[in-house]
Amino acid sequence: MRPLDLTEKDPSKKVTIYFEGKPYEAYEGEKIAVALLANGIYWLTTSTEGRKRGAFYFGPLPIVINGIKNMDGRKVPVRANMRIERQNYGEFQEEVKIDEKKPVLRYVVDVAIIGAGPAGLGALLEVQEHLTVALIEEKSWLGGDLWLKRVKQKGFDDEPQEVIKAMRDRFNQNVRVFLKTAAIGIFDEGEYFLIPAIRRNQLIEILSKRVVLATGAVDNILLFENNDMPSVFRRAFALEVMNIWGVAPGRKVAVVGSKPEEITAELERWGIDYVIVPNPKRVEGRESVERLIDMNGNVHDVDAVIVADGRRPDINPVTQAGGKLRFRRGYYMPILDMNHRIRDGIYAAGSAVSIKPHYANYLEGKLVGSHILKEFGFETEPCIYEEKLREYEPETVPLHRIEYDSMNLEDVQICGCDVSLKKVYDVVESGITDLQIIKRLTHLAMGFCQGRFCLFNGALLVSQRTGIDMTRIDLPVARPPIKNVRMKVVARRD
Amino acid sequence: MADILIIGGGIIGVTLAHELVRRGEDVTLLEKRFIGSGSTFRCGTGIRQQFNDEANVQLMKRSVELWKKYSEEYGFSFQQTGYLFLLYDDDEVTEFKKNIAIQNKFGVPTRLITPEEAKEIVPLLDISEVVAASWNPTDGKADPFHSTAAFALHAKEMGAKFYERTEVKDIIIKNGEIKGVKTNRGVFKTGIVVNATNAWAKLINAMAEVPVRIPIEPYKHQAVITQPIKAGSINPMVISFKYGHAYLTQTAHGGVVGGVGYEEGPIYDLNPSYAFLKEVSYYFTKIIPALGELLILRTWAGYYAETPDGNAAIGRINEIDEFYIAAGFSGHGFMMAPAVAEMMADLIIKGRTALPAWWFDPYRFERGEFRTTAIQMG
Ligand SMILES: Cc1cc2nc3c(=O)[nH]c(=O)nc-3n(C[C@H](O)[C@H](O)[C@H](O)COP(=O)(O)OP(=O)(O)OC[C@H]3O[C@@H](n4cnc5c(N)ncnc54)[C@H](O)[C@@H]3O)c2cc1C
Repeated sequence: MRPLDLTEKDPSKKVTIYFEGKPYEAYEGEKIAVALLANGIYWLTTSTEGRKRGAFYFGPLPIVINGIKNMDGRKVPVRANMRIERQNYGEFQEEVKIDEKKPVLRYVVDVAIIGAGPAGLGALLEVQEHLTVALIEEKSWLGGDLWLKRVKQKGFDDEPQEVIKAMRDRFNQNVRVFLKTAAIGIFDEGEYFLIPAIRRNQLIEILSKRVVLATGAVDNILLFENNDMPSVFRRAFALEVMNIWGVAPGRKVAVVGSKPEEITAELERWGIDYVIVPNPKRVEGRESVERLIDMNGNVHDVDAVIVADGRRPDINPVTQAGGKLRFRRGYYMPILDMNHRIRDGIYAAGSAVSIKPHYANYLEGKLVGSHILKEFGFETEPCIYEEKLREYEPETVPLHRIEYDSMNLEDVQICGCDVSLKKVYDVVESGITDLQIIKRLTHLAMGFCQGRFCLFNGALLVSQRTGIDMTRIDLPVARPPIKNVRMKVVARRD
Repeated sequence: MADILIIGGGIIGVTLAHELVRRGEDVTLLEKRFIGSGSTFRCGTGIRQQFNDEANVQLMKRSVELWKKYSEEYGFSFQQTGYLFLLYDDDEVTEFKKNIAIQNKFGVPTRLITPEEAKEIVPLLDISEVVAASWNPTDGKADPFHSTAAFALHAKEMGAKFYERTEVKDIIIKNGEIKGVKTNRGVFKTGIVVNATNAWAKLINAMAEVPVRIPIEPYKHQAVITQPIKAGSINPMVISFKYGHAYLTQTAHGGVVGGVGYEEGPIYDLNPSYAFLKEVSYYFTKIIPALGELLILRTWAGYYAETPDGNAAIGRINEIDEFYIAAGFSGHGFMMAPAVAEMMADLIIKGRTALPAWWFDPYRFERGEFRTTAIQMG
């Protein structure tokens, strides 16, 4: 087994890959970042300002594969003899072949469901008997965040993966599943909505009469010095490497953030040594974390850090699709009408709406499905689900105070695109308090993730430094494409 | 009581406030959202002197001088990295030779270069169909965010009053004299109003009951930005009329920004469209194939406030005491702002200016007098 393997891998898939010229053991189909992690390699790319970056916190992950620059190290699967090298942000491939003849795949359905977590699956199972469905999921698995867990979740009778498999078995012939497919926006086309989506380099256009945003939540980004160092993990990535790929994030990890319980049970299951550090100040190391120093000056020798600080709804699909937001329970969430819609024809369900147990998200999916059936003229009783859903009060996510005075703000990255906390802090201190302008002066929320991981902390900073209430901050709206797409993939005139 | 009240906090209103307060005037500026939120923060950053008439060339020559001066004084990014118009046939070459003659007459050093020379300037270009290029190295680009913010900051420091989130709802006029404006934040008293609302200018004109026809309509134009790439990859603004009326360049931050001539309107709508996303990608990859591998970070929409001849309406409306307009800048209002501010300040304070204000006479439409249509991209 490789240094960080937790499980025995299928020997028939065993291949050799080369990283920076050296051979490593890998398995066909593994994600490159995971294969390298298993070999103990965390540092994969270097930001514009020369910061070493890994795959598992935030920011883009451009790497060189077989001589081709600017490949996405999080997406490309391992193949035998692949040659991988680090690169700097900003390097790109100068020779390009554009295949204009490649056909666009087009589908027409009654309902497009974006996101295959419990909410998306709930909506699908509710409507599939009567309506045609396209289920669009960016990841390679069904079940969303639930699939990442191995510990039984409240409301479900079985273990997560069994629950999801059972749902999958119920899909009927009205359902078309698009995995590894990223929806890049929702556009109005009169009677239909048009949802362009990308699977690898294939453009897919889905026309649907109704849309369900079951697009989920994103992990909170915790601010501490060198928080972007390779071997700092977001909770979801830590779960993924352990539970999907059977690879440990490290041998001895520190769990930081306000929700350590979201990861510790899983670490215990795998027997990974961990320490909970509620107040991280700084991590240090050469190519990855070697120690974590807390606010009290205690030094913890760890080789990885997992940030488990809860999640907040991903508001980008909502605002791009024309939804409005409100601030409640510590996060921005879509404003829904009585039928659970952000506007005519577009429904929202699950942790895209509020943070609550997986089972409640599933129920909310069913509720939305039921509303849709009603709109299509079928006899349904959405109120049954409404009633059940009431048993689950959404969580309140705490707003932590950012420790401006105890940290070197230059070392704290608020955004994965080389925006330090200091950059944003200085603009606010200069008297500019409008997030819309701050964003443009600092480039916060103007990079690869369009603010998915950084905008909230930006709003929090403005609120904490100026006293402006979170409810009154003018939040920028996400623009298409809501997921990055290569220009050649959409380059067409038809 | 404000002596002079500017409606609109785009680059035009902000540079005008800055110029007036610099000359000792008492200025108040009202902006319905935030500074730059109109077209200004949505623009393509380009600043060029390559126009096809004398007035615009003169005005832009002055503007470039001012961009240089203020960027040095205030420390925002303005780079003279040139404009490169790619030409694909003899007709285009003939037309650009005429333009170059006009530009040269006023000391703008534009010249015709070969495709190979163009490729030396931007090695990533596909020049297989290019026959020549019109090149002026003194054109350039500026950061709209930092520049607008800097002009606003310095104007405020000199005493100009800026009110954001303040929307003008009506203009109070008695016996042909302006008394003030009504806003969501109460009445602002003033005797002089400047309409610097560009795409919204017709609404302010209606509130003031301007008795002359000044056709300015909002057209939706979109732009795209890619992931940041190595600095210096695409220095100049590259223009191709053949490929979609496209313009593209690299921002100081590294992303490739630009747009094509995909227009909708007249309409007040700023939702980016999927058709644009496809079209801009199609044309951009024709001009620079390497862009094909770049990730698109986002698209957005803004307004070209268009007049029938593509030239703005700038000047005093004589029937109202005192009402000025500087609006209708199409795709080239950002670049002109510092010179327009100087020209407007002259008109307001002295009633005359050495800059060619006559070209932008707001009465010309009423008289049925149109100018040569200004060169325009996007
Ligand atoms: C996609 C795109 C690319 C462009 N590229 C370039 C380029 O490369 N170079 C260039 O020079 N130009 C470019 N332009 C054009 C340029 O953006 C505009 O000409 C310029 O910004 C106009 O500035 P302005 O101050 O007149 O208007 P704006 O920036 O639109 O300012 C007008 C302001 O008035 C405010 N307002 C409106 N009504 C009211 C009211 N009732 N009360 C108070 N405030 C009100 C608005 O909120 C707005 O902020 C581009 C435009 C677009 C859309």
